[in-house]
Amino acid sequence: MSTVDAVVAPLISAEQRKQARSVGFTLVVLGIVAAFVLGNRPGDAGFKLVDSYIFVIPAQPFARILALVLIALGAAQLLKGFGKWTNVVLSIAAATFVISFLAWAASGGSFSFTGMLQDTVTRSVPIILGAIAGILCERSGIINIAIEGQLLGSAFAGAVVGSLFGPWAGILGAIAMGVGLSAILAVFSIRYRVDQVIVGFAINFFALGLTSFLAARVLTEHPDYNILSPLRPIALPLLSDIPVIGVVLFTQTLFAYFAYLAVAIATWSLYHTKWGLRTRAIGEYPKAAGTLGVDVIKLRYRNVLIAGAVAGVGGAWWPIGMVGRFDQNITNGRGFIALAAVIFGRWHPVGALSAALVFGLAEAIQLKMSNLDTGIPSEFLLMAPYLVTLVVVAGFVGRSRGPKAAGQPYDAQ
Amino acid sequence: MRKQTMKSLAVGLVAVFALAACGGSDTASDTTAAVVDITQPEPAGLACEVTDTGGVDDKGFNQIAYEGLLQAEASLGVTIEVLESVSDADYAPNLQSFVDKGCNIIITVGFLLADATKTFAEANPTVQFAIVDSNTSAANVQGLPFATDQPSFLAGYMAAATTQTGIVGTFGGINIPPVSIFMQGFAKGVEYHNAQKGTSVKLLGWDMAKQDGTFAGNFNSLDDGRNIAKSQSDEGADIIFPVAGPVGHGSSAFAMESGGKVKIIGVDVDMSVSNATQAEVYVGSVLKKIDAAVFAAVGNVLNGEGGGTDYLGTLENGGVGVAITSTITPELQAELDAITAGIIDGSIVAN
Repeated sequence: MSTVDAVVAPLISAEQRKQARSVGFTLVVLGIVAAFVLGNRPGDAGFKLVDSYIFVIPAQPFARILALVLIALGAAQLLKGFGKWTNVVLSIAAATFVISFLAWAASGGSFSFTGMLQDTVTRSVPIILGAIAGILCERSGIINIAIEGQLLGSAFAGAVVGSLFGPWAGILGAIAMGVGLSAILAVFSIRYRVDQVIVGFAINFFALGLTSFLAARVLTEHPDYNILSPLRPIALPLLSDIPVIGVVLFTQTLFAYFAYLAVAIATWSLYHTKWGLRTRAIGEYPKAAGTLGVDVIKLRYRNVLIAGAVAGVGGAWWPIGMVGRFDQNITNGRGFIALAAVIFGRWHPVGALSAALVFGLAEAIQLKMSNLDTGIPSEFLLMAPYLVTLVVVAGFVGRSRGPKAAGQPYDAQ
Repeated sequence: MRKQTMKSLAVGLVAVFALAACGGSDTASDTTAAVVDITQPEPAGLACEVTDTGGVDDKGFNQIAYEGLLQAEASLGVTIEVLESVSDADYAPNLQSFVDKGCNIIITVGFLLADATKTFAEANPTVQFAIVDSNTSAANVQGLPFATDQPSFLAGYMAAATTQTGIVGTFGGINIPPVSIFMQGFAKGVEYHNAQKGTSVKLLGWDMAKQDGTFAGNFNSLDDGRNIAKSQSDEGADIIFPVAGPVGHGSSAFAMESGGKVKIIGVDVDMSVSNATQAEVYVGSVLKKIDAAVFAAVGNVLNGEGGGTDYLGTLENGGVGVAITSTITPELQAELDAITAGIIDGSIVAN
């Protein structure tokens, strides 16, 4: 990789300069917003960290200092550039800006900051798992836009099996449904070489139609098939005693812990195992991998089915991790957000994790905003998470390139 | 090979859309088949209902309208049909298909169908319509609005009187009048308690001055309901009033999880009955007797009446009410009775 970089160095640096400039402008714009919008409300903002402790930020001075720092950082970036530290600087600046925004909104009042962060993690769990499912497929050259259908189908299976045989069986049922729907994707796109986008859409419609139909016809008449006790959050010993972080990260349901593990395992396996190398190879240059003796077809089947199992756990999150029942279209488009997280995360599990967290944070902030006196209409607040996702995907990601062979059927001849 | 692939894809896709279509619309066909009984060779008429996106199994609003229709089927001898709307794009096609079928009355469930109902009523002056949660919009439309601010006022007063933390919460599905009227009444009830008793109970989720507050943005996402309840609980609320149909079941799931820390007030129907497995979390429910209104609307049309008038459900005529499903003190009960009388005689304004 490094030799390739060296050869095309001038090209990339032009691209990089352009990106560095836009980062600089972004910082300056954030600084101006901080100065003129966030700095216009006097009063202290209370961030409740634990029940007995409220951290107080004076909203106006905080915003004004932040504005100066952001504009200085932006100027430094435009003049000189932070090089490889750019992303770190940008992340810290963005996080501080969010805190200043919260202080602006909460000035004169207080809100549960820890609860908000806990919601962020909880909300992002199905998006993380859906995105991992997407990455596993796309890295092996199969476009998976059926994540939404897989989540919805497994949510249904999880609710019904879980109601009849208990939550653990429900998770297994959800995994089976996820794998089953993945098998449809695999057979049509690998064996029959149907356009993968079309198969994906068909699976989404299939899952929505079938689960809505069964929910209306079967679950309405047999409410016993659709009620179970969801798994309660488990406070991990020792870790959950850490103030704030313990509540945010380690007082979650098993689904969240599974999501952390899934990100770690997927990252390690994709970049440090033989399986990962082969998977990336069949997603980029399947012909070359095939020539070198990798069984492309078999590996693609296997990865798509594993992806289905991961999505199955993600779908089980709704009935078994959260609300204890299924309702029509309960996933409400989270699978499509997961798809966006795949792209925003540049087909990397850690990237997808951060994308999911950005979306989860936007949703959690939106919930808190409606309790605070900001004057922002609720309709706009509801739009905000999607807007943030859009801005982040369009603005910050720049050009991202997916696996080269994604969407192309493999022909060994 | 290629041909075969295309064929299997075509078959697969057709099957998919067939199923998708079933999911949206097939709920009533077995009930229609069952109604043809021997004692009544000629059905009295065809009463049809279009739901909003909640579906007839929402354990609330749409379900109770459907129950009104079932009552009409049983005691008025009409044949009934229902079409569920999966998205708002289904309203017009569903209405069109009922017009084509020659329904005597088409009941549309919900404010969200108001525009579509008006359009179709004006285009088909010979067909009778009735719309739940909206006023009449044409000469052949019966409006079925409800003064749900009245029972919500009682619920708000009760919540303010029984909260342990001094903070109560509410949230809605979408900020539309039939939803916000509950929240406004609830807020008024809390405010009335504060004024009468000198308390300072705080309400989360509805701002009377701005007429805006916390909304899920939909009527079907249970995890939104869970999260809003958790978020309000994080801010200290211990009694929460979700006005969002099935979304509120997510809130009751959270209340179950909280182990008694958070209580819920049900909406539209007595949720301690309709959602019996989680009955313990409901301190009460605000009732909106849509079934009675739907039944009355069908009866009016059979009698050749109806159209261009409103049936308003109030505390006075029993079209709305409160079901208290927790133990309250006799003093509080007496205060609630006094407020009910005050609302009926107009000395207390609930909105």
